[in-house]
Amino acid sequence: MLNTAIASLTSGGAYALLGVGLVLTYRMTGVLNFAHAVVGAFGTYTAIVAFEVGVPYGLAMVAGIVVAASVSAGIGLVMARWFAEATTIVRSTVTIAVFLGVLVVGFRLFGDTPRVVPAILPGVRVEVATVTLTASTLVAVGGVAVLAAAVAWFLAKTRTGIILRAVSERPTTARLLGAPLQTLVVAVWAVSGAVAGAAVAIIAPTRTNDYASLAILILPALAAALLGGFRRVGVTILAGFGIALVELLGARVPAVAQYRTVVPFVVILGALLWMQRKEVWDEAR
Amino acid sequence: MRRITTILAVMGIVAAACGGGGATEETAPGQTTTTTTAAPATTATTAPPATAEPIKLGSVNSLTGQIVFPEASAAAKAVFDRVNAEGGIDGRPIEYLIEDDAADPAGAAQAARRLVEDEGVVAMVGSASLLECAVNGAYYAEQGVYAIQGTGVDPLCFASSNISPVNTGPYLGYTVSLYFASEVLGKDRVCALIFDIPDFRPAMDAAIQQWRDLTGKELHFSNFTLQFTDDVTPFVLQARDAGCEVVVSNGLDVHYIGFMQALQAQGIDDMAWVGLTSGYTADVAETLGSIGAGSGILHVNSEFEPFTLDSPVLDDWRALMTEAGVPLTSFAEGGYLAATIMVDVLRGIDGPITRESVSEALLALEGYEHPMIGSPYSFGDAPAHNPNRASKFLRLEGGEWQLATDDWVVLPTG
Repeated sequence: MLNTAIASLTSGGAYALLGVGLVLTYRMTGVLNFAHAVVGAFGTYTAIVAFEVGVPYGLAMVAGIVVAASVSAGIGLVMARWFAEATTIVRSTVTIAVFLGVLVVGFRLFGDTPRVVPAILPGVRVEVATVTLTASTLVAVGGVAVLAAAVAWFLAKTRTGIILRAVSERPTTARLLGAPLQTLVVAVWAVSGAVAGAAVAIIAPTRTNDYASLAILILPALAAALLGGFRRVGVTILAGFGIALVELLGARVPAVAQYRTVVPFVVILGALLWMQRKEVWDEAR
Repeated sequence: MRRITTILAVMGIVAAACGGGGATEETAPGQTTTTTTAAPATTATTAPPATAEPIKLGSVNSLTGQIVFPEASAAAKAVFDRVNAEGGIDGRPIEYLIEDDAADPAGAAQAARRLVEDEGVVAMVGSASLLECAVNGAYYAEQGVYAIQGTGVDPLCFASSNISPVNTGPYLGYTVSLYFASEVLGKDRVCALIFDIPDFRPAMDAAIQQWRDLTGKELHFSNFTLQFTDDVTPFVLQARDAGCEVVVSNGLDVHYIGFMQALQAQGIDDMAWVGLTSGYTADVAETLGSIGAGSGILHVNSEFEPFTLDSPVLDDWRALMTEAGVPLTSFAEGGYLAATIMVDVLRGIDGPITRESVSEALLALEGYEHPMIGSPYSFGDAPAHNPNRASKFLRLEGGEWQLATDDWVVLPTG
């Protein structure tokens, strides 16, 4: 039982990383980025293809993360150029179009057959008493810790972080005050894309993947970010780990095992209902 | 927050678009292609190529989509091409019509009707499809058309009066694998991890029941809820915690790699694993060998003479497949065998070769021996056919498949 919980840390870490990426782009650029996971999947598949043609594993993974960052930066550029004044709903809807676009391009390039991704450092593990920690678990948990600390520090303590928050609240005002809006937005998107690429690369070796199932990692990520109210990085991270834990423990309970893949939907519905609990009819309509 | 609420409502649409459209992106049904093989191959010939009125044979295959089976029909085509180049059947060439059903029921139904009614094929041979038997079994019975299936996949391939596959299939194959685990490996605590494919569940239950009846044993632990894209680690841990000595699982080739990776990551090396023929590929051995996983643990069954070994039984098959550019896989063995049986049946017919005479010959076909299979092939008039009841088992050793059993493991009847 304990080992199953430990095994969920890899997925949990990836969900958390993706969730934090969503919070990041939402808070800093005012976009709910539906294309977040598919960009990561695109990067990871690039890495798989590179690895298959003989590029060393580490280099291929780095290349994948760079590709994810570049694609994401491209989306950021589009956002900054053409949708800077648009509402959050419009900008988020644009990312849905981008999601479908990247999905289809990925299918064309990579096909839809399941692939195997070699594990990060296969065979490397740390055993503490009866608990086994695999290399991918350590990388996932470590990655989350580093990212969480970096985001918290960046948003609260740096001038750039504060400017970015200003940009997301009032883009025009921020620009009038001299904020280099376009550069900053593109930079945020690039970082968020790199994080998505890394998250998907961490989770990919733990399961049999096809491109669509990796792109659909957006669902647990959205559920985690929603629980964090799209603001609180800490809560998002905990939620990511929590969703993964519930999914894996669900596999042990025969009555619910078949339905465990709908966990993110249940979480999303539950969170939405909870958040609406104080709304009165007129306002919530 | 209300903005987010609104946006999330849209998400449902995206999920639906992705779930439905994503998986079948390149597999628009109806895009079936027909390949005729009337033209003789360019091999050196001892007899003039056949030029008389062709004998039409058909096959329905899943050639595009998420799970594809291209090798069986390609292998059958290679056999027929050679027959044609050597003069055909009494001077009549074989015209082999390959249709793609794109793993779509409507596509499979249309393909069968095109072959049976428009083309007037005398029989079906070498088909390999995800759902063809389920869709067309009743139609073949109604039309009096018989099929030597190259690779039977869906349960109805093994439950139709008009279809007799050359392969064991994933159900009886599962019974053989359980039998191997308990009787040949001699393990006591036999466990089952099974991917949940809703329509296949009753056939899997029947397969396990057959093992119970044969051995009087019970599964120590089972989980039938694996999904194709799951992280398999929790299931592997569950089996370990339950004290399983051997796990028998189904799945695609990539899943066996996933299982072995998970075992390696968790440092579990005292639990044996038995898989189906789907795991018996050169890729699985190579991938696992390159990361050093699964060695001495993973066993797979081969429903035909194991193709990775240097068996003289396979000399002709290997030469022909290599020449025709068909990948050397179990599926190619199935297609080759189905076509070879069909050629022998056609050659054995006195008088004109028509749908009626071919059907009659198949209904009389019993005890067809071939060194590539461990139990005789038969057709006959039984209401269901699953004649291949024998497997050889292989074990992964340092990235290579080694024979785990020299002789065929033959499932006792009754």
